[in-house]
Amino acid sequence: MTAVAPDGFAAGPTGTGETAGTDGEATGTDGGATGAGGGANGGDGGEAGVGGGETGADGNESYRLNVDGFLRTVNGARLGDSLLTVLRDTLGVTAVKDACEQGRCGACSVLLDGRLAASCTVLAADADGTRVVTVAGLGGAGLARAVRAMFLAEGAVQCGFCTPGFVVAVTDLLTRHPDADEEEIREALAGNICRCTGYGRILAAVRAVQAERSLLRSGDAHSSGQTQRPPDGGPDGG
Amino acid sequence: MLAAAHDSGAAVALLGGGTDLVPALRSGERVAGVVVALRRVLELRVRGAGADSLTIGAGATYTDLAGWSLSPGLARAARVVGSVQIRNTGTVGGALGSARPAGDLLTFLTAADAEVLTASPRGLDRQPLPRFLADGLAPDALVTAVRLARPGGPQVYLKIGDRQAAYPAVVSCAVLVDRVRHRLTCAIGGVGLLPARMGDAERYARDEVDWSTGTVSPTAARRFGDLVVEAAARITPALPAGPRGSAEYRWHAAGVLAGRAFARCLHVTAPPAGVPGGPAGDSAVGGQP
Ligand SMILES: Cc1cc2nc3c(=O)[nH]c(=O)nc-3n(C[C@H](O)[C@H](O)[C@H](O)COP(=O)(O)OP(=O)(O)OC[C@H]3O[C@@H](n4cnc5c(N)ncnc54)[C@H](O)[C@@H]3O)c2cc1C
Ligand code: FES
Ligand code: FES
Repeated sequence: MTAVAPDGFAAGPTGTGETAGTDGEATGTDGGATGAGGGANGGDGGEAGVGGGETGADGNESYRLNVDGFLRTVNGARLGDSLLTVLRDTLGVTAVKDACEQGRCGACSVLLDGRLAASCTVLAADADGTRVVTVAGLGGAGLARAVRAMFLAEGAVQCGFCTPGFVVAVTDLLTRHPDADEEEIREALAGNICRCTGYGRILAAVRAVQAERSLLRSGDAHSSGQTQRPPDGGPDGG
Repeated sequence: MLAAAHDSGAAVALLGGGTDLVPALRSGERVAGVVVALRRVLELRVRGAGADSLTIGAGATYTDLAGWSLSPGLARAARVVGSVQIRNTGTVGGALGSARPAGDLLTFLTAADAEVLTASPRGLDRQPLPRFLADGLAPDALVTAVRLARPGGPQVYLKIGDRQAAYPAVVSCAVLVDRVRHRLTCAIGGVGLLPARMGDAERYARDEVDWSTGTVSPTAARRFGDLVVEAAARITPALPAGPRGSAEYRWHAAGVLAGRAFARCLHVTAPPAGVPGGPAGDSAVGGQP
């Protein structure tokens, strides 16, 4: 993984985080991003960015996204495009699913700098400089592997449309909160909708992962004493 | 830069987390030639505590607020917003920009007498939340922070509605007690176009509560709720009746939530004669610091 972005919202590896929009073909509004109104900004850290897109038919944007550890250049997307739209339609990343486009179903869930988000509610240009992790980028080992395996073993996958979003959300939950109880699991997964399973099997899969992990942990205690490393570099617990 | 963007004549949209704006851009409900993304303005994410007041940057997310021990009531209101995905993304500035009728933060801040801090080419400004909401934001200004008093007693936030993760509340209610100033404030969201304060009920509480002990009589919560129902029915302009609850239902729900929040904030002197009636199966969630 090339992603070495610091935790949270600071600038990622792809840039200094100054603009959310155009770099190359700016229309003149983004120069230097001095911040609106003066008062709020003027600091060093991040700055407000203007996506100086044209209002014309194809006000195209060019920027880079770090998707599952790969830097991808986005050309030809519109300023207003969501991360979901750009991932699927521009970059061909089908590991995110497109269902409601209103932030209600969770099918499009990704981790943004380690935080669970619905990619249909995120402006793609604003994700420049953050690490975007889809289910495909969670890794083939560790927690994410266990989550996938238990979804299969417990029959938590039927049509499968919700599964990528659930696997991301469950991995996020168990990274932050390995011992979540049933109510906490339900609460944490409330942003993900499944129309097939009735959730019982999904819950069972989460429980099974927890059981496997706690066995592993007690076994590990001798050898390394290390806790499980989160696959995404570890979201903060706030 | 915001001013420059504005002067360019293009339609400018401020972007917080995007939970409201991005779906609206997608559906065509909103159109923007220029988007000013605020997420990376670190100054906007600051939370600060003064001797009497708390300041919360417009860029703070609900997740940022959810664990904030300095304002347990606000933290509670933030925890019952949407889903993890929405709480990780949605911001304070966006909640003020969207100004939803029963927005959780808006209802809480209305009860808390919050002030809104703004910045524009004319400089910094601050105004009481109701005035900010009535006047609207100048096109070249942005919200930088909200400021509210440190909690002076128990604070309870309750809401009722459909699936919380997918839909904002139908009716929301915040009750804040200030033991020092012998004051209780109550705001109801989801009845008018914006959350409203319940003046009569607040005055009733001021006179009814035994402030030396923080206790009330067993019948007080009921009376408090009734006053809220009466006040709710008088709110203008009223929210048009929608598929999610008739006006009568929302007035009733306001009274039930307010009575319940009131009872949770204060000690009742003796067991109530009868169990106060609430609609069965309501999904209210709440908490006390
Ligand atoms: C599925 C779902 C569930 C939801 N559930 C709830 C809920 O339970 N309770 C609730 O209260 N809300 C809920 N919401 C609404 C929404 O998440 C909140 O209103 C949120 O606070 C919006 O913040 P944002 O940063 O995402 O705003 P954005 O979408 O970025 O912006 C919203 C508006 O505010 C303006 N704006 C943004 N920042 C500023 C600023 N600094 N100054 C001035 N204007 C600004 C924007 O221009 C825009 O008009 C829900 C939304 C969705 C999609
Ligand atoms: S498609 Fe994004 S939440 Fe439904
Ligand atoms: S398996 Fe079909 S929607 Fe969940």
